[in-house]
Amino acid sequence: MRALIAAAAGLAAALALVLTITAVGAPAGGKAPPKPLLTTVPEHP
Amino acid sequence: MRRKASLILLAFAVFFTALSPLMRWYAFARLAKIPPDEYQTVVLEAKNATLIDYGTMRDKKVSKLSVVQTLSGDVEASNKIEKSAGRDVVVWKALSYIVGPDGKMVSEIPETYIFDAHSQAPVHATGESVDGDPVRREGIEFKWPFLTQKRDYEYFDARARITRPIHYKGTRTFHGLKVYDFEQTIPWTRVPFPKKLPVKGITAASLARTGTQMWYTTVRTFLVDPVTGAPVYGEERHKEEMRGGTLVGDGKKITAFAGDVTMRPDYVKSTVALVKSQRTLVLLLTSYLPWGFLGLGLVLLALSLWLEARGRRPGEPEGAPERAPQPAGV
Repeated sequence: MRALIAAAAGLAAALALVLTITAVGAPAGGKAPPKPLLTTVPEHP
Repeated sequence: MRRKASLILLAFAVFFTALSPLMRWYAFARLAKIPPDEYQTVVLEAKNATLIDYGTMRDKKVSKLSVVQTLSGDVEASNKIEKSAGRDVVVWKALSYIVGPDGKMVSEIPETYIFDAHSQAPVHATGESVDGDPVRREGIEFKWPFLTQKRDYEYFDARARITRPIHYKGTRTFHGLKVYDFEQTIPWTRVPFPKKLPVKGITAASLARTGTQMWYTTVRTFLVDPVTGAPVYGEERHKEEMRGGTLVGDGKKITAFAGDVTMRPDYVKSTVALVKSQRTLVLLLTSYLPWGFLGLGLVLLALSLWLEARGRRPGEPEGAPERAPQPAGV
């Protein structure tokens, strides 16, 4: 019984962690890049 | 004490083992996405190409033609569309700017491409366009989905404004990366004239009035990193012709452009370096962490079982009460 409770606790913790991470999500992007769309051939990347 | 330690180890074993599939099949699909503020440039070149001279209406050979392609994320527009679409959306403003050997503009085609940040599936919203014309894209463009599969995809051709299959041709190694080779053929198709042309007074509308038509065919190849879905190399065998009408003559045609367009080597190098850095992040969520967690979970489970086995006395049932202290004999 105690083994079952320990396993359930581990599973619940894993679910809670993954759900929290995905709810927070990846960091959002900032503002639109200030660089213009190019109309000249750049010398290098 | 050993019993308690084995239970704690068991809890951690289940925690890490459960984390493995959750990370791979639940978290990855929700965390991996294209950032809305992406900015990328790539330069392609066509050496010894054929190009029309709009002044004389004759084709001529040019030593080199450059295509400068810029992608820039429009964060404001994506935030606006996300509110109504209810999902993560990316809006790319793209410009293909074609420059002749003299540095002057040959033509330019702007695009607005709206797509799902996770799956790269197109999102249909106001503003989706090619060269100022509203379009409704089907299939992918510019980038493949994360964890690209060895199969054909539907790919949008911006010049013809049509979607056609792009075929998986095989796997190869390119600059140390395992990449998938995709190829798409667009057969001769009538296309609109670009809105911006290099000669003053000649516009798409004035050309169309002469009855002359623009036709185009291309065979495009992409080498795609299957982890990130990002192309690391692209080339096109591209041909455009002007046919018929009062400008060219009934039944006649002029080559407007013909050339093999390939990525400039320095951009190949920088693109490969960028993709190599990004693929580590994707592999972390799809491979390194899931396998690591699974391995750790199994080790902890084995340790827990070992501790449990050592803690038991032979023949003693699980959960038996500890022996009460015996009174000392008199």
